Order: sequence, then structure tokens, then C-alpha cells
Amino acid sequence: MPERMRLDGVGRRYGVRGPWVLREVHLTVPEGALLRIEGTNGTGKSTLLRLLAGIDRPSTGRITGRPRRAYVPERFPAAMPFTSAGYLTHLGRVHGLTSAEAARRAAEWLERFGAAGHARTRLAELSKGTSQKVAVAQALLAEPELLVLDEAWTGLDRGAREVLDRAVAERVADGGTVVFVDHDPQRLAGAADARYRVVDGRLLAQEERPGASAYPGAATGPRVTIEAEGPPGAAPPTGPPGTTAGAPRLPGGAEITPGPDGAFRFTVPAVHSDALLRALLTARPPWHIRAVTTAPGPAVPPDPATPYAPDSAPDAVPDPDEAPHP
Amino acid sequence: MIALLRYQAALLVGSHRWLPPVILYAAFLAIGIQSGGPILDAFGYAAVGVLPVTVWLTRICLTNEPPAARSCTATAAGPGRVHLASVLTAAGAGLLLGLLGTALVVLLSDPHSAHQVAVPVLPATGAGLLAVLTCLLTGLALGALCTWPVLRVPGWGIPAGLLGSLLLLVLGGSPANAAMTGLVTGSLHGTITVPWLPAAAAILLAAAATATACALASRRG
Repeated sequence: MPERMRLDGVGRRYGVRGPWVLREVHLTVPEGALLRIEGTNGTGKSTLLRLLAGIDRPSTGRITGRPRRAYVPERFPAAMPFTSAGYLTHLGRVHGLTSAEAARRAAEWLERFGAAGHARTRLAELSKGTSQKVAVAQALLAEPELLVLDEAWTGLDRGAREVLDRAVAERVADGGTVVFVDHDPQRLAGAADARYRVVDGRLLAQEERPGASAYPGAATGPRVTIEAEGPPGAAPPTGPPGTTAGAPRLPGGAEITPGPDGAFRFTVPAVHSDALLRALLTARPPWHIRAVTTAPGPAVPPDPATPYAPDSAPDAVPDPDEAPHP
Repeated sequence: MIALLRYQAALLVGSHRWLPPVILYAAFLAIGIQSGGPILDAFGYAAVGVLPVTVWLTRICLTNEPPAARSCTATAAGPGRVHLASVLTAAGAGLLLGLLGTALVVLLSDPHSAHQVAVPVLPATGAGLLAVLTCLLTGLALGALCTWPVLRVPGWGIPAGLLGSLLLLVLGGSPANAAMTGLVTGSLHGTITVPWLPAAAAILLAAAATATACALASRRG
């Protein structure tokens, strides 16, 4: 994958004689990837994210590449004299959108997060969860090349967490890069392309545990199988991000098996299902979808005692938390 | 940059934190500008008030955005540009006040020197505006230096700003003092001293201070 940003021997300390928060960080940030950063509290995860976001500059080392970026903080402040929609429109313009486009996307994202009813509410009057939705919408409406999420899921209700999961998958499917930190080990399980761990200010690439890889047969999260038929004579798409002629570029590292009558079965982590469907349907020429089903249990069940949130289960009754408050 | 300026201006207007410095300046003018007073004296007085008010406004604009929101804008536009937009918003607000002060002086004051020598209004107003600009830019420089990221101890910002304003108005070497002294001294004999040199010095001072603050904004982010 082409690289979007590179960190070479990056170190950061606050103050001339302060202790090093990060040391000797080497990291290549590829295009169209989902990177997870792990680590215990106070190890320098947030500092690393701030360096990636460009809020902070390294004390030593080099960062190359300046993608269009957006950042979501863990806690979003309410003390600003704007309405939700007003703030998002301002931020959309700062991200380089026109006023009309910024307002349109602001409304769209508030609606996706079930906060459309709060568009005219002042930020100061929002609940913590709703103001976090505004923070997330601020970053997503920019469709950034690099999205940096610092525990962005904190405070969101279940419905909104799932919307954010899917939005992240969409961003990656569209060629964007997402770097995230979250304390929930199941967050986007099976969807991350790489995992890193910050230990004592150093960044260590994590060995892929069985069951943590994005690629065939290993995802631990809920999975979805899509049965689709390509245009006549289309080459069977092989392997991750399909480069084969006639095959759309597939998000989520789909596992592909031949199905009946020349169709193919694509199995992906559930968060990527929308993005995969979109990729198949918008391919030129488009693919025909025959069926979408929940995949049978993960290849390597991690722990039968902890069931997953049924992301892929039909959820006919809306979550009460999702409904906009009057 | 225009989007950032709109955002910062909306933040300043909506926060109502502009109100105390505006009231301070209005009170300052109400005390010092007398109807029928010598015009050059009044211009000098109106310009002097702009300095501490701009220091205050700069501090307000630079601290108006909560840190987490600032991280979002800094990611989108770069920390240096976000900082510059805050400083420019303060400059705009200070300029608006300075122009109002100058207009008030033109309306109320008598176009004569202290010894009843006639003073042409138009050149006097030009000199007055340039003095306002000098004080504004000097205040902007001080405000940018007395706030994060240059001065990082939060409790020192206000005392440093107050002391700095006082020194800049009193000490002979400062552009603000030079511009004001020129006007007030000229008022004795009805000669208009246009403060070209102090204005040029103030421009350099403001540019250097702002550049320093903006460069540090990402280093100390």
C-alpha cells in the first residue's frame, strides 16, 4: 500500500529537560488502512495521536507527509457559543468546504448519529454523549485522508458506537487511513490492519494474535457473508484489496470463496459489510448481490463466555438512546 | 484562513467576553475626551487607551477556544494558522474600537491647539489614526507574548500584561509612547507630528511577536 505519512525516529518531550514521553518511534502510515494503537494509561498514546494529527511537533526525528487530517478528542467541551449545526458548519468551512456543503454534511452526519433533533441546540445544553456525537461528526464530515480517533467512542450510546464503527470502515474503504485508540479490546475487532503498542514511550508493532487479523479466516468479531455475482467473465477477485481486473477493490480484507453458478461469497467483519456492498454495487460494471447473511461463528472463537454485541443482528426496535430527544 | 477568521470572530462575539474591555475603553474615553478640548491631545488620549484594551482582547481571543476544540481546528488547519487567526481577530476587534474612539474625537474635539492655533482636521485625523494603529499593534505584540504558548505559566499572563502595558505607555523607547508624545507635544503649538517611525516599529514588533507565538503553537501543542 502507498504510504500516507512516515515517522522516523520521532521523539517528544514537553520542556527542554522534561522526560521523554515518546522515543524512537518509527511508523509508516499506509493509505487505506486501519491502525490500532494500544497501551496502558499515561504511556504516550495520546501524544502519538497528537503528533499524527499535526497538533504537536516532534522534539526530535522527522514526520513526512501532510495528509488532510481530522481529529476526535476523547472529551468534547461544551463551552462554546454555537449550536451543533452552527459549530459543524464552521468546522466544515475550516476543513475547506463551502458554506452550503458544510451545512449539508453537518445535517447529514447529525442525522446518521440520531442527533438531528439537536441541530439547533446550543452546545452548552447538550448531554455528554450528544456533544461527543458533534465531535465525531466534525471529523467525519471533512472526509479526511487521515482520521485520528482518541477514544472517540467514549460516551456514545450503543447505536452511535455502531454508526462510528461503520463510518470508520467506510473511510478505510474509500482509501482513507484511520488511526485509533480505544480501551475496548473488541473495538473494531478483526478489522484493524495493524496493531501497535506503546510501552514506556516506545512503539512496538504487535504480533497478530490468532483471531486478530483482518485477513482470511482469522477475524474474531461478528462477520457477514455476501453472495454476489460478477459481470459475465469477470475474473474472480483474489485476496485482499482486489487488484485483479474486473474485480472491485474490496474493503475489509474480504475472504473470498467460489459459490454456486459462478457467484462468489465474500466474508468480512460485520463493520465492513456496508462498505463492501457499496464497493460491489458501485463497481464498473456493478456486481449483482444475491444474498447477505450473518456468517457462521468466527473461525477461532476467542472466549465463549463473552458474547459479542450483535452488530449484524437485525435490530428492528430502535435503541431508545438513539432516538432524538425533543 | 477566512473560515478560521469567521469562526474566531463568531466565537468572540458569541462569548460576550469582548464586553468588559469595550466597557473599559468606553469609560476611558468618557473620562478623558471633553467636548471642545484640543483635538491632538484627544487623539493621543484615544490612542493610549487602545493599547491595554488590545492586550486584553488578544488574551481573550487566544484563550477563547476550549483546548479539545482547539485540537480539532488545529488538526484541520494547522496550529500556527489557528493561532494567527485568533491574533488577527483580536486585531480586528481592537481596530474597530480604535476607529470608534477616533470618530468620537473628531466629533467632540475642537480643531485647535492648546494655545488656540488652528489645526487642520483631516491631517490631524490621519496622525490620530496612525497613533491608534501604533498602539494597537504594540498591544497586539504584548498580548501575543503574554499568553500561551510564549508565556506558559497561566497565573502570570494578566500581571505581565498589565505591567507590560504600563511600561510600554511610560517608557520613552516604546512606539506607543513615541506616537502619543508626538501628538501631545505637537498640540502645544498646533504642529501635527505624524508617527511614521513609531508605526513602522510597531508593525515590526507585532509581526515578530505574532510569528514567534504561531511558531511555538505547534511546538508546545
